[in-house]
Amino acid sequence: MTVPSPLVAAPRAGNIYDLGYRHYEGKRNGRAYAMWSLYVESLRGIWGFGRPTTAKAAPFLLAGFYALPAVIQLAFSSVIAQAASTGQAVELLAYRSYFTSFSFLVFFFCVAQAPELVCRDQRNQVLPLYFTRSVGPIEYALARLGSLATALFLLLLVPTLALFVGDVLMKPDTFQAVGDEWPKALPALPANALISAGLAAISLAISSFSPRRAYSAIGMVAYVLLMEAIPAAIYSIGQTSGWLWSDKLFLVTPLTSLNGAVYWFFGEKLDPQNFSGNLASGDYLAAALASVVVMTGILLYRYRRIPA
Amino acid sequence: MALIETANLSKYYGPVKALDGLDLQVESGIIGLVGANGAGKSTLLKVLLGLVSPTAGRASVLGMDTVVAARSIRKVVGYMPEHDCLPPDVGATEFVTHMARISGLPRTAARERTAEVLRHVGLYEERYRQIGGYSTGMKQRVKLAQALVHDPQLLLLDEPTNGLDPAGRDEMLDLIKRTGTEFGITVVVASHLLGEIEQVCTYLLAIDAGHLQRSAPISTFTQRTPVLAVEVEEGADRLVTALAVNGARARQDGARVLIALDSEAVYDAVRDIVADLDLPLIRVQQERGRLEDLFRDAAPTAGSAE
Repeated sequence: MTVPSPLVAAPRAGNIYDLGYRHYEGKRNGRAYAMWSLYVESLRGIWGFGRPTTAKAAPFLLAGFYALPAVIQLAFSSVIAQAASTGQAVELLAYRSYFTSFSFLVFFFCVAQAPELVCRDQRNQVLPLYFTRSVGPIEYALARLGSLATALFLLLLVPTLALFVGDVLMKPDTFQAVGDEWPKALPALPANALISAGLAAISLAISSFSPRRAYSAIGMVAYVLLMEAIPAAIYSIGQTSGWLWSDKLFLVTPLTSLNGAVYWFFGEKLDPQNFSGNLASGDYLAAALASVVVMTGILLYRYRRIPA
Repeated sequence: MALIETANLSKYYGPVKALDGLDLQVESGIIGLVGANGAGKSTLLKVLLGLVSPTAGRASVLGMDTVVAARSIRKVVGYMPEHDCLPPDVGATEFVTHMARISGLPRTAARERTAEVLRHVGLYEERYRQIGGYSTGMKQRVKLAQALVHDPQLLLLDEPTNGLDPAGRDEMLDLIKRTGTEFGITVVVASHLLGEIEQVCTYLLAIDAGHLQRSAPISTFTQRTPVLAVEVEEGADRLVTALAVNGARARQDGARVLIALDSEAVYDAVRDIVADLDLPLIRVQQERGRLEDLFRDAAPTAGSAE
C-alpha cells in the first residue's frame, strides 16, 4: 500500500538564482538625466546603432545621397579650380540653395525615421514604463523631438562642410581662402538648425498620431504633398486671375517656407518662379518659426492626451 | 506610517465607477489585490502611480500624495503592467539597462543592476537575444526585471501570471515570493486568481466594483480551520466511531473523514486507529479554509470544510 505524503511539501527547486539580492544604494539622477538618456538612445536609434544592420541602411543611404552632390564637388574641386582659372564659367553648388535642391531627400529621411521614434513605443505599449519613471509625457516628447532635430542637423552638416572644404581647396592660398570662405558658410549653420527643428517638429507631430509606422509615413507624405500642392495650385490660378493674396498661402507650406527662410540667413530672397510665391524672406522665416512652435505644441498636446 | 493609504478614493470614467469610495491601509508584505475583471484593480494601481488622477478622495504611497508627489513616488516604485510592454527588436539587457537609466541610474550602475536583476528573474544567455523571439514566460520575466531594476521599495504587479502555463505560473509566483521575502520589497500583486494570491501573499485586499470588500492578513482566512481529512477506501464509519471513542471530533464526508485538529495527539490517534482497524488508507491531508469561501458568502465560517 503506497501512501503519498501530502503533509510534507516537496522542496521548492528555486535555488538556481540564489546569489542574494543586493539593494542599490548608489546615486539616483533626476529628470534631466532621464531625458538625456532617452535623447541619446533615440539619437542612436535614428542612425540604427544598437539595432540590426538593416536598421542602418535607410538613414545612412539617405544621408549619403543627400551629401553626394557636395562630396562630388569636393572631389573634383581641383578640376573645377583649373577650369575656373582658364576663365570658364563654373556654376558651383551654393549653401543657400543646397537644401532647396535636395530637400526631398531630407524629407524622405524624416519619413523613414520619425515614425520609428514615436510609433514603436505606442505600438509596443512601452509608454507606461516611461511615464511611471522620471520621464513624463512632456519630457518624453521633447527628448524625442530633440534627438530627431539633432540627427537632421548632423545630416545637413555633412554637405555644408563638404561645400566649405571644396570651396577652400579651389583657392590657391588655403589660409586666405578659409578666412574668405567661412563668413559665407556661417549662415548655413543657423539655417540648418531651423530646417532641423522645422522638419523634426512636423514629422513627429504627424507621426505621433498613429501607432502604425506605415500610417504615420503616409500621413507625413500626404500632409506635405497637399500643403505644398494646394497653395501652388491656387497661386498659379491666382496669377492669371490677379489674386494678390494668393502669395500668402505659401506661408502654410512645410517645405517651401523652410526654403524661403534659409535665404533670409544669407540676406537673399527665394527665387519666386518655382511655385514658391513672391514673399519676403522674413515672411518665410516667420512662417517657419511659427510652424516649429505650432507643430511642437501639437506634439505635446498629443502626448498629454495619450492614455498611459 | 501605512505604506499605501487611500481615503474615499474614487475614479469615474464617465458613468463607469472604476473606484468608488475606496478606503485602504496597507502595511508592508506581499499584498494580494483580488477582484474580478473590471473590479478596479488596474485603476487602483494607476492611481497609486499617479498615472491617473482620482475623481475624488486621495491616495498616498509611502506617505507621499499621489497627485502632488507623483514624481517622488515613481522613483521608489516599480510597475509591471498587465499588457505587453516590450519592444521586440532589442535585447533584454539593452532594454532593461535603458529603463534603469530612465529611472535615473548612472550608466555603469544601470548595467550592473541589469545583469543582477536579469539573473534574479532567471534570464541567462538568452538575455542578449531580441525580445521578439522570447516565450511568454521569458517576456514576463523581463517585465518583472524592468520593474525591479531600480531597486524600488514598492513593486506593483498587474496580473503577473497572465498567459503563463502552470509551470511558468509557479515559477513567477516563486519569484514574487522571493522578491517579497528575501529582497525585502513590498509587493502588491493584482490578480483575479485567488489560488495565486493564496500561494504567495501575506495580506489580502479584495475589491469588488470599486469597493473594498475585505482587507485582512491572509492567515486569518487560511488558518481558521485546521481540519485533518483522512481518506480511506472503506470503513470510514468505523473510523469515525473509533475516533469518537477517543474523544476526537470527527465527521464523515463521503469517503473522507474530517477531524478537527484540536491537538497534535489527533495524528497519533488516527495512525493507531487506522492500524488497529487495518483500514485501507489512501491519504491524510490537512485541510485549510480556502480563499474561495470568501467569495462564496460574506462571512466564512470556521467549519468551512463542507
